[in-house]
Amino acid sequence: MKKEYSCKIEQVQHIHEDTVYITIGCQQIADNAVPGQFVNMSCSYFLKRPFGIASVNKDKGTFDIGVKIVGKGTADIASFSAGQTVNVLGPLGNGFDLSSSDKFILVAGGTGVFPINFAHEILAQRGVRHVVVEGFRNKEQITMCSPEYVLTTDDGSAGIHGNCCTGLDTLIESEIEGATVLCVGPLPMMKAVGAWATGNGLKCYVSMEQRMACGIGICLVCVCKVKAEEQGQEFNHVRCCKDGPVFPYEEVVW
Amino acid sequence: MSGLLNVKVGAVDLKSPLILASGTCNFGHELSEYYDLSILGGLSSKGLTIKPRVGNEGVRVAETAAGMLNSVGLQNPGVDYFIEHDLDYMRGLGCACIVNVAGHSYDDYMAMAQKLDPYKDKIDALEVNLSCPNVKAGCMNIGTDPEQIKSIVSSMKEITSLPLWIKLTPNVTDIKATALAAQEGGGDAVVLINTLLGMAVDIKSRRPILHNNTGGYSGPAVKPVAIRMVSECYRILDIPIIGCGGISTYEDVLEFMIAGAAAVEIGTASLIHPGCPVDITADLEKWCEDSGESLSSLTGTLKLW
Repeated sequence: MKKEYSCKIEQVQHIHEDTVYITIGCQQIADNAVPGQFVNMSCSYFLKRPFGIASVNKDKGTFDIGVKIVGKGTADIASFSAGQTVNVLGPLGNGFDLSSSDKFILVAGGTGVFPINFAHEILAQRGVRHVVVEGFRNKEQITMCSPEYVLTTDDGSAGIHGNCCTGLDTLIESEIEGATVLCVGPLPMMKAVGAWATGNGLKCYVSMEQRMACGIGICLVCVCKVKAEEQGQEFNHVRCCKDGPVFPYEEVVW
Repeated sequence: MSGLLNVKVGAVDLKSPLILASGTCNFGHELSEYYDLSILGGLSSKGLTIKPRVGNEGVRVAETAAGMLNSVGLQNPGVDYFIEHDLDYMRGLGCACIVNVAGHSYDDYMAMAQKLDPYKDKIDALEVNLSCPNVKAGCMNIGTDPEQIKSIVSSMKEITSLPLWIKLTPNVTDIKATALAAQEGGGDAVVLINTLLGMAVDIKSRRPILHNNTGGYSGPAVKPVAIRMVSECYRILDIPIIGCGGISTYEDVLEFMIAGAAAVEIGTASLIHPGCPVDITADLEKWCEDSGESLSSLTGTLKLW
């Protein structure tokens, strides 16, 4: 049976003015989470808040999340400190299928760097070939970036001047050919990356986001549109939390 | 401890007063991953319509103090799909199988009764949704008019012998009038209450957060409204009342039952703590043990000042 865990916050790192990186103790989540999955976590407000899992440490029985302050709930969570207890549901949703290919291109924008980091860690452990492309607005926003990644900034203040697609265009043929693209970021970015992948004949998976309540598929508020021509209709609403958050790019109605 | 939690809603026996409220448990599949739903008195399905509905566009949820607004808009796979794919599953959960039916018009409700009547061996009651605030026609638009309530309920009674539980909207001046109409139409029970119509505004964009503009308000904040309505209706109705609105603890259950509810529905609490009925059940059993009372004896024991 799945359950709601009462977990201790092990560490809170303030990595930016508006972003914290939190390590939370929960052996079950550490053991079972796969990249692309998320947790729904309590705060001082009524509803839980969903966060993509950024990393796990099975030995220590911990998992990490990155929290960017976008509202009162995330501001509240960013003020949490080590030792505090939170209620957590997870791991939730369908993650990325990392067995589906022997070569990946990971693309992250904004807070997408956190789930993409988890995918990178697992692929690195397994020795699966992959490149990481990260896009930020400016150098102040750069988070979880490694020197071997392709880095882009919108204003050119660091890395390549441009967006993720500009970064993708710098990849060499051997990195692109036959790769599967995994992308997490803002909608316009995922749409552009999906189009780039399709243009290069590559399969692309994106992680959809919508205002969420339960996180487990019972309330039907966090829907996104997927194509439903086979059912004789233009689109269907599916639950980001339970049917996703990962969807094939070509199935999403953008 | 079996027995102490038993309650009756008319002719329907429930092993516990706890029923999962429509729209907060889908058809049971997801919550079954968290606990054995056979501990429940029943489960009320997602609101079903004759044809599938994709529901409302855009943002469907807004958090509020001690509650939330939703504007799902009765997204559901349609009654035919439900019969084929989910009804047997719900029947097999080991608790009462309540099917929530909604419609845009009088004819829709009759069609739903006709569709489901042949499956009466698998269904314990139809919950007639005359109260969803998130659709443009039917539901709450019908459910604020006592004449239409009476007409729909009495006509459905001619079509099916299934118990009809009439789920009413709190968005009326006088809940007693609509509850009486449900009784006069032949309803077997009333469910009080569905969500309160509300709105939340984004102060930056100066637009409603919900793309439907308004939504249904639920959660602990609405509990006093629901209790008041249960109490008002208990004093005038002969048919049983199922209380619903903001229940998240065993004390909430007791409060509703004392006010007049024969059973209760748990809704929004499942969205926050999916396993909460397990804790509430244990707490109710302990309360019965400690007090030496059975739950069913509590109904309507409220002593007004």
